[in-house]
Order: sequence, then structure tokens, then C-alpha cells
Amino acid sequence: MHVLFLHRAFPSQFGHLAVELSERFGWRCSFLAEEMGSCPPPSPKLLEQVDLHRLPPGPDLGRGVTHWMRAHEVAVELCRRQADYLRGRPDLRPDLIVGHCGLGPVLFLDVEIDCPTISYCEYYHQPRMGDLTYRVDLPPVELSPFYPRSINATTLLGLVACDSGYSATESQRRSFPSRFLPKIEVHFDGIDTDLYRPRPRGPMTIAGRSIPEDARVISYVSRGLESMRGFDLFLQLARRLMRHRPDVLAVVAGSEWSYYAWDRLHVGRPSFRDWALERSPVDPSRILFLGQVEPEVIARLLSRSDLHVYPTVPFVPSWSLFNAMACGAVVLGSDVEAVREVIEPDTSGLVAPLFDLDAQFDLARRVLDDPAAFSPIGRAARERIEQRYSLDVCIPRLRDYFERVASEGARPG
Amino acid sequence: MAQDPLCLLCVEPRFPGRLGAVADWLVRTRGYRCWFYCNGVGPRDHWPPSTGRGLEVVRFEVGGVARERSVPWTRSLERGLCYAYGAWEVLEARRPGPIDVVLGRSHGLGSTLFVPAFAPRAPIVNLFDYYYLPRSYDLADDLAHRLPPDYVRWRQSANAMDLLDLENGVLPWTTSEWQRGLFPPEYRDDFFVQHDGVDLRRFRGEPRRAGSRSRAIAGRSVPEGALVVSFIAPEPDRLRGFDRFLSLSNRLIRERADVICVVLGGGPVRRGLDVEHFGADFGTLALRDDPPADPARLWMLGAVSPETVAELLRTTDLHVYPSRPFVPSRSLFEAMAAGAPVLAWDAEPVREVLDDGRTGRITPADDPERAALLALDLLADADTRQAIGEGAAAVSRERFDRDRCLSRLAGLLDDLAKRSYSPAIGGR
Repeated sequence: MHVLFLHRAFPSQFGHLAVELSERFGWRCSFLAEEMGSCPPPSPKLLEQVDLHRLPPGPDLGRGVTHWMRAHEVAVELCRRQADYLRGRPDLRPDLIVGHCGLGPVLFLDVEIDCPTISYCEYYHQPRMGDLTYRVDLPPVELSPFYPRSINATTLLGLVACDSGYSATESQRRSFPSRFLPKIEVHFDGIDTDLYRPRPRGPMTIAGRSIPEDARVISYVSRGLESMRGFDLFLQLARRLMRHRPDVLAVVAGSEWSYYAWDRLHVGRPSFRDWALERSPVDPSRILFLGQVEPEVIARLLSRSDLHVYPTVPFVPSWSLFNAMACGAVVLGSDVEAVREVIEPDTSGLVAPLFDLDAQFDLARRVLDDPAAFSPIGRAARERIEQRYSLDVCIPRLRDYFERVASEGARPG
Repeated sequence: MAQDPLCLLCVEPRFPGRLGAVADWLVRTRGYRCWFYCNGVGPRDHWPPSTGRGLEVVRFEVGGVARERSVPWTRSLERGLCYAYGAWEVLEARRPGPIDVVLGRSHGLGSTLFVPAFAPRAPIVNLFDYYYLPRSYDLADDLAHRLPPDYVRWRQSANAMDLLDLENGVLPWTTSEWQRGLFPPEYRDDFFVQHDGVDLRRFRGEPRRAGSRSRAIAGRSVPEGALVVSFIAPEPDRLRGFDRFLSLSNRLIRERADVICVVLGGGPVRRGLDVEHFGADFGTLALRDDPPADPARLWMLGAVSPETVAELLRTTDLHVYPSRPFVPSRSLFEAMAAGAPVLAWDAEPVREVLDDGRTGRITPADDPERAALLALDLLADADTRQAIGEGAAAVSRERFDRDRCLSRLAGLLDDLAKRSYSPAIGGR
């Protein structure tokens, strides 16, 4: 079996999948990408196992921030270049193509390759009061009525063009228009439960800073410290917890970049982190910013965390949520469908309304005051990940799904 | 809560476009009040009667890439977004209201896309014309062996705005089953299929009597005893088969001394579909490649008023509809309404309208000889022409009478306006 993964960046969310399919089942996995990603960066093992193809440089469509009206052009241009590349590489003829539905869907490929295509259906943006527009507490952004109504264009084209689609979770699947749900299956792509595991508690050093054994560590992990993932809300909670307990130490992992929303426009300055810190000043000696760090560091942090805070808006559930649970951390998440699907409230985690700081504080305080009382929740979280979201559970299911779609062949154009 | 009378917002890139007549009917017969938002306005002699009397035309500007005459195909959606944004800007500035229901025709330009940002509770009905298939229908069938890769890609990508509109509206509307069937299966069941109809009153006249009465078209007298063969298209382009018509007309003129061929429409090709002739005057090019057998008997009358169209269709002896497979033209329905016998080139959308031998004649698309023989037979047989024309007129009264067609639409609009419509809210 030969699978070709398409994504703007390598390895993105397909990298580990390619390695697993190749290691476990001997599949040939190729990857066609425009750029090398940094979150996560490709490991040497990954580079060794995947047949990586890089697109030649494309036209300059204005690097950096893309105007919202041109987002579709960027995606379509990528699709065009992918198709041109494959046209020039008749030796690259996979049994199945898997591509990201929104970032660069599996468009234009049927002309070049006669094989089934799968769209990874990560998310369908809501036109109002969802994901990008959920943070009504922030200063309004002029483009908020428009961008969410146009950003799904590429996704819709990809949905129509593909033979099948899959989402990682049911909440992601349900973000899509109901008419497409029969075409979309749910297949999570697996958590590395060997890396993300509970570890013995003891003195530890993270990023050169020692963490006292008796400190109450609250953790926050996100690709970017941004509003959609509630970084500012985390700071408000951390501030109150620090006032409540002198031994609370906040550890934050993630870059200053806002990947999803318009934080720069919301707050009128480049760094949302700095804006949030000004609004909720925290004793610098009690908060540690790690920046973007290696998965191993994240795993150590999450396994040491007394409380992992995940104040996300309704959106794609983050890796960090699953990773924290896999590490046996007690997670306090926002009470949104994406979180509730993963966490069983009060059994394998805690939830509180996103904008209800009092409720969050009350739960967090109870956890930090008596961690032992909540340790069954951490154990249940680990168990849930092992049973539902681990690589051992998910990869064989994805293999079966990929094989099934490949064997059914491409739909007639 | 709906007001009385209903307040309708129409949005279309140009007025009157296709919705102008619909809005006019709703204003005149149902007492609607209508704001018609558009970027461009056609000549006054195309404006419907209620313009300025219940139908208020409001123009919006477009910026950015929409100001350019043409753009790279990868920027098609951006162009449409500029139109949608332009409509929203003027809505926001003028704040018409209350709006009970919205009727839009995106025509690839997505004009109603941002209306919910202004009127979130107004249900949107969009009229959809055409969903491009990568390598089928319109000109793609003819170009099958020389379709440039980027052209095929554009055809896929050009559907982006329609897909957004389909998700943004509450009721998609299209005018034929064939058009509905072009859309992805996930959307087909949602469609309201209803032709927008023809104003039959425009085509009433004295009964046709073959080639004997004195006739004039756009001020030009038709010689007594002559047989008029007509072709109508906004621009005589390849999509509508002007090349086919030209070939046929030359044959007819050579074979019969009494034939006069009349062509209405003019100007450069405006549809990007004809990638080889976009922006060019296809009519002139076609005449250069296939010069008229007798220029005095090929009347190229250019763009004319709707009255002249009606005048021609009331008097033509044979209306030729050689279109490639595409959205059926208004002229086809108007010819039927006028009781003109139609000779059409075979295509699925044509077969949905014409019943060969009863309400028109259909000739194989790839057989010009057969088309010529059919046309000659018809021209030689006044009784058959009469019977077919009457059959067409009867079908027109049954299926394409505007009063009947738009009554159904109005019923839906009334119903939508009465319902308490709640737009989807994210964050489930």
C-alpha cells in the first residue's frame, strides 16, 4: 500500500501517521509539501522513513499574513502546484491520497492520478458565535462578519472533490454541514502513550529552571499563546490561584504567535501574550514561559502538572488536551462540545464555562488544595486515552479505513 | 415578524439581470416593496415597469480586484468577495429595513454572502445558474482534447462561490432539473426547481401566416413572401452556437432565395467559459471564417431592446437554438411563448424543454447536414411549423407562464418570511 499525504507543511498532523503506518504495516508513505514545519519539526526518524517531496518555490502571493479575501487563492495555488508536480512525476502514483481539506484540499488531482482521495476534515468554521468569533469579550474586529463566511470555500471544494473524509473527533465532524456528514468518518490519529505517560513525582528541571517538589504546578500548553485557546483567561485564573496559594507556579508552553484568530487586530499590538499580561499581571517569578519546546519537554511538564488548564473556545480539540490526559494530569477544560467529547466531566476531567472565572477558580482551587482527592480523575483520564485515543487503538482503525477507501476505488468524475 | 407588504431585498451584480423581472412581478402583483442592490445597471429600455415605483434600484461599488477587467483564475473567488463586500457596505450605510426576505443571484459573484452580517434573520433565497463540471457540458465537450490543465482547474475552483452561497442561504433555487442535477448530490434535494417564466403578454400578436404578411424588424421591412430565420443571444458567441447558426444560415440562404436570417445580440464574449475567445468579438471572427453567402440576407442587428426581441419572435418563421449544453436561454422560452417553431441542437437541457416533433425539433449536435435538412423541411412546410409553434405556445402557457411560475415562488417567499428564521450559531 502506497499513501501520498498532501499538506502545506511537513510533517504537520500527517507525519506521525506516516511513520506509524510504515513501521507497523510496512506501507510506503510519501509526502508532498511546500515547506518544512516547525511545530513539530520533523524528526530524523521521520525524515528517514517518509518519501518526502518538496514543491518547487511558487509565486509570491504576499508572504506572511494573507489578506482574508486571498486565502482561497493561496490554497488553490498550492493545489495547482501539487497537481503540476504530480503531472511531472509519473513515477509517483500512490494507491491513495490523503490531504488536508481546508489548507490545500485534494483538488485537481483526478486529472493526474486515478486513485481515491481522502480529505482530512479538520474543521468547518462557523459563520457567527463560534471559533473565530466566539470571543465577544474582546474588542471587535472589523473582518469578523466576513472572514468566517468565506473561509470555508476551499473546504467545501475539497469535500465535494474527495471520495471520503475523516475527522479526528466527533465534534470536528459535527462542525461540518449536516449534508456532508455521511461522507465523513471519525478516526482519531493516535496519542503516543509511551511518550505521554504519568511519571514519578520528584524534583525536576524544566528549561533550566528547577521546579520545587512541593510546588503546585498549573500548566498551559498551546501552539500559540492566543485568544482562541484562552491564554488571557488562563492568566486571569492563574492570578487568582496565585493569590489563593503561595506555592502555585504556572508553566506555559507555546509561541507568542497567534495561529488562528485575529489577536493582533483585537488588541492592536503584535503580542497577545504581552497584552494579556498587562491586563492580568502575574508575579514573573511564579510564571515560566517555555516558548515552543520539544515533545519530550511537554511530556515532562504535563506529567508533573497538578492542574492542566485548557480554556479553549469551541474549536478543534488540541493535542495538549489529549497529551495532558495521557500523562494523568487533572485537566480543567472549558465546557464546550469539543472538550466534553474527550473529558467525561468529574470522571476523567473537569469542565467549567469559558467565561465563568469564579467557577473555574472554585474547581481549580479544590484540585490544588487537595490533589490526592482528584488523582482518580487523572488516572481515569489516562485510562480513557489508552482505551480510545492511543496509537495502538487508533492506527489499526485508520489503516482499515484507508484500505477500505483505496479498495473501493475513485468515484467516477 | 414579517411586515405587510413584504419587504424584499434583491442582490444581483447587474440590474435588471435575471431577478429584475421577478422583483417587478412581485412588486406589481403581490404588492412587495423591493430594494434591488446591484453594481451595474443595464439600459433603461430593459428596466421593468415598477422601477422607481416600489422597486428601488440601489447601486453599490466594488473595489480591489473586482475593478479589473479580468483576473487570474485563482483569484475568481476574491473577485466575488469584492462584490459581496460592496453590497454589504451600501446595506450598512443605507440600512434599509425591515427586510423580510432576500433574493439573490450570485452568478459566481456571491452578492448575498455578507447580507446576514446586516440582516441575520432574513432568510436568503439564491437563484443558481450553473455548476461547472470539470470536463463536461458547455464548451468543454467540444474542447475535450485541448482543455488546458488550468482551464479544468478553474472550472472546479469557479464553483467556490456557489458552494458558499448554498451554505449561506436557506433555499437554493434553480430553473431546470438539468441545472439542479449539475450540483453536488449533497445539495440537490434542497433545490426549489422552478422556471422564472415568460411574460406571455409580450408575445401576443396576430396569428402567424407563413411568409405572407407584411413585417418589419427593428424598422427593416421583411420582403413579402420571405421566410425569417432567427438567432438571439446577448452576444453571438460560441457557447450559444453562433458558429453553428452561421453555417446553417449559409446553407439555407444558398438553398432558398426567400430566406432572411436575423441575428440579435452583439459585443465581445463576456463569459470566461470560452477561454479561447474571451474578450473577443466572436461574431466577427465567425463571419470571417465563414463569410455570409449573401450579406444582404444576413441581418446582424446587434444588441436591441426587449421590444425588438419580441417583434422578431412574433414574426420569425424558424427560430434556431444551436446552443452548446448550457443553461437554457431566455430566448428559447420567449420563442416558444411567441409560438415560433424552434429548431434546437440536441442537449439534455433542451430535451427538458422541447418535445421533439411536438413542441420543437431537435437535431443531433454533431450532424450539421441533418440540421440543415430539418430546417429546410420546416421552411418548406408551413403547416408543420404552425403545429409545432402552437404546441410550443401551449407548453409555454402550461409551464412557463410567468404568472404561474412566480406564484409558486411568491408562495415560498411568503412562507419563508412568515417563519421565525434563526441563523445557525456556532459553539455547539
